[in-house]
Amino acid sequence: MVRYLELIAIVFLAVGGILLASTSATASPSLQDTAVAQATPTFAPARLDRPATVFPPSQADIGAQTYWGMCMDCHGDHGQGLTEEWLNSYKPELRDCWQSGCHGADYPENSFEILKGGVPALSGPGSLARFSNAYELQVFIQENMPFFPTGSLTPDEAWPLTAYVMRLNDRQLDTLNLDEVNGSVIPVHRDVSLPGKQLPGVLILSTVLLLAAVGLAARNKLLSGESVPKGQRANFFHHLHPVRIPARQSRFWYTLGAGGLAVFLSLVLLFTGLLEMYYYIPTPDQAAVSVAMITTLVPFGSLVRNLHFWSAQFLVIVMTIHLLRVTLTGAYAPPRRFNYLLGLGLLVLILLLDFTGYVLRWDEGIRWALVVGTNLLKTIPWVGEALYRFVIGGDIPGSAALTRFYAWHIFGLTLGAGILIVWHAFRVRRDGGIAVSPPEVRAGKDHITRFELVRREGLAMVIAGLVLVLFSLAVPAPIAPPISDASAMTGDSRAPWFFLWIQQLLKFGDPFLWGVLVPVLVVVVLGLLPYLLPNAKADELGRWFPPGNRIAQGLSVLMILAILLLTVLGAFQ
Amino acid sequence: MSDRRPFSRRDFVNMAVHALLSLGGVIGLGGLVRFFSYEPDPGPPDEYNLGAAVDYPPGSRTVRLDIPAVIYNRDGKLVAYSLTCTHLGCTVEEDKQGGFVCPCHQSRFDADGSVLAGPAQKSLPELRLEVQEDGALHLYAPGGGHR
Repeated sequence: MVRYLELIAIVFLAVGGILLASTSATASPSLQDTAVAQATPTFAPARLDRPATVFPPSQADIGAQTYWGMCMDCHGDHGQGLTEEWLNSYKPELRDCWQSGCHGADYPENSFEILKGGVPALSGPGSLARFSNAYELQVFIQENMPFFPTGSLTPDEAWPLTAYVMRLNDRQLDTLNLDEVNGSVIPVHRDVSLPGKQLPGVLILSTVLLLAAVGLAARNKLLSGESVPKGQRANFFHHLHPVRIPARQSRFWYTLGAGGLAVFLSLVLLFTGLLEMYYYIPTPDQAAVSVAMITTLVPFGSLVRNLHFWSAQFLVIVMTIHLLRVTLTGAYAPPRRFNYLLGLGLLVLILLLDFTGYVLRWDEGIRWALVVGTNLLKTIPWVGEALYRFVIGGDIPGSAALTRFYAWHIFGLTLGAGILIVWHAFRVRRDGGIAVSPPEVRAGKDHITRFELVRREGLAMVIAGLVLVLFSLAVPAPIAPPISDASAMTGDSRAPWFFLWIQQLLKFGDPFLWGVLVPVLVVVVLGLLPYLLPNAKADELGRWFPPGNRIAQGLSVLMILAILLLTVLGAFQ
Repeated sequence: MSDRRPFSRRDFVNMAVHALLSLGGVIGLGGLVRFFSYEPDPGPPDEYNLGAAVDYPPGSRTVRLDIPAVIYNRDGKLVAYSLTCTHLGCTVEEDKQGGFVCPCHQSRFDADGSVLAGPAQKSLPELRLEVQEDGALHLYAPGGGHR
C-alpha cells in the first residue's frame, strides 16, 4: 500500500508541475499593434483618418480615438510632435494655421498661440523625460492638456490618453487598465513584466481542495463503527489533541467551530503577511506604491493581499461569534474565567493588529482614520500627549509613525497575539477540554477519537480555505492612490469598519468620553461578566442559554447589538 | 503498515485525500515560486550617455565611478574599460602607477586592465563605445558593468 501511495504521489506531483508550467506559459503578454504610419513628407490623407475601431477596445484603443480628435493635429500621428514633416502631411491650404482659422475665428481673444518651443514629441528618444510613471503622465495630461482649453479633459479621457501615449512609446500593457493606483507602478520608459492570469491556477487549486473535502467527508461514512482506525498511527497534529474527546463536547452546533476557525485564520494571516513582507516597503514615499506593486505586478500578489485582508476582517467577525457563543452558553464559568479574559485580550490585540495593518497601506484611504485615531489618544487626561508621541513617534504622523506601526504590526502585536493564542489553547486543555458536556451525557462513554477530531478540523480548514480563496478572488481588498498632497482634503474620511461604531459614538460629544472611555468600558464590562454577575450552575453547562447567567447573556447581546447598530449607522452615512 | 490486509475502500479514500492534499500543496508551492519571481528593482542601465565625444580630447583619461568605467582617448581612438574587479566585483581604485588596485583584495591592474597581481585572474573587460549621430558618446555596459 505504501508503494501505491508513493506512486500516486509522484504522478500527482508530475501532473501538478505540468499544470503549473502551462498556466505560467499563458502569461506572456500579447503584442499590441502600434499603428505607426510611414513618414511621408507630402500630403497624405490616409494619415489623417480616424483610427479603426477595435472590439473589444483596450484602454489604449479608446485613447487612440480621443488622441485623433484632440491631440493629433499638434502632436503628430505617431507622437512625433509638430515637425515639418507632419505639417506637410496637411492639405496645403491648412498648413498655415492662422489663415485656416483652426485656432479659433477670433484669434487671439478666444484662442491660443503655439508655444515658441514648438510642440514636443510624445515618443522617440528623449521624449517624456520628466515623467517616470504613468500616474505622473496622467496628472500632467489631465492638468495641462489639451493646450486649449487647458484642463478640459475628464479622468475618463485622460487615462485612456495616457494608455495611448504609453503605447506610442511601445509600452505593452496587455489588458491592464491604468488607473490612479496601478499607474504609480507602471514606468513610462521601461517595460515591466505583468503577471499572467491568476484565475486558472486558483481554480485548479480550488477544484483539488474541493475533491479533498469530498474525500474527507466521505471517509466519515466509511469510518462508522470504528473508534480507532486500523493501522493508523498518530502524527504530530493528532498529538496536539487529547486521545479521546466526549462526542457531545465537539459537536458543531455547540462550539460553532469558531475557536478553531480563528486559529486557522490566524495561520493564514501569519503566512500571507510573511509573503507581503517580501515586497512591502515601510516608508511614506514607497508604502502605497509597494502595495500597488503587490496588487498589480507580483504574480498572485493580489490574491495574497486579498487573502490577508479578508482573513483579518473575517477574524474579527469569527472572534465576536466565539465571544457570544461563550457568553450565551455560560461557558466562562469557573474554572474558565481566566481563559475568558485571555480570549478578550486576544480580541483587543486582533483589533489593534487590524488597525495597524490598515494604516500600513499609507494611502489616501487611511489618512483621516489615522489622524482621528491617534488624536483620540491626546484626549486622555495626563498621559494622552505622551501616549500619542509614543504611538506615532513625533508631532504629526510621518515616517516615524509608519515605522512604528510596521514594527507593532509585524512583530510587537503579532508576538503578543501568538503568545495569547498558545496560552488560550493551553488553558482550554488545562480547564478540561473544548467544553463541558450536558449533565445527562457527562458520565457516558460516547467518545470520538483524536483521529476523528483531526479529520473534522481538516475538513473545516479545507472548506474555510476554499471559501476564503474564492472570496479573495472575487472581492479585491481596498486600495487608494498614494498620499500626494498632505494638505488636500481628499480621501475617505471614514474609520475602518471595525471602528465605525466608535466613529459613530464620537458624534455624541466629548471625544474622550465617547471615543476612549465608552469603548474601554465595553471591554471592561465584558471582562467583568464572570466575576461580578451570577454564573451558570454546574448542571446547566453544555447547553445554550443556561438560566444561571441570563443577566450576562442579556448584557453581552445588548452590547454587541448596540455596536452592530452603530456600525450600520456609520456605514450608511 | 507492513501487515498485508486487503486494500479497503477506506484505504482508497485515505490515499486519495492524501494525494489531493499533496497536489494542493504542490500547486500552492508553484504559486509561491511565481510570487517570489517578481523583481521590483530595474537594475542598472545597459547604456550610458557620456555626453559629447569632443569632451574627451586626445590623451585624456576619464574615470566614471558611477558606471564604473575608465574612458581613454588615445590619439583619437576612444576606448573604455570596466572598473569592476573581475575577482568579486568591488570597484577598483586608481593607484599611483597609473593602474588600478582593488580595495577589497588588492588585485592590481595596469592602465589597460591587464592583471598585474592576483587574486583576480581575468583582466578588466573593454566596454563598447559608440559615437552617435548627434555627437554624443554612448557606452554599453551589459548588466551595468557590474558583471
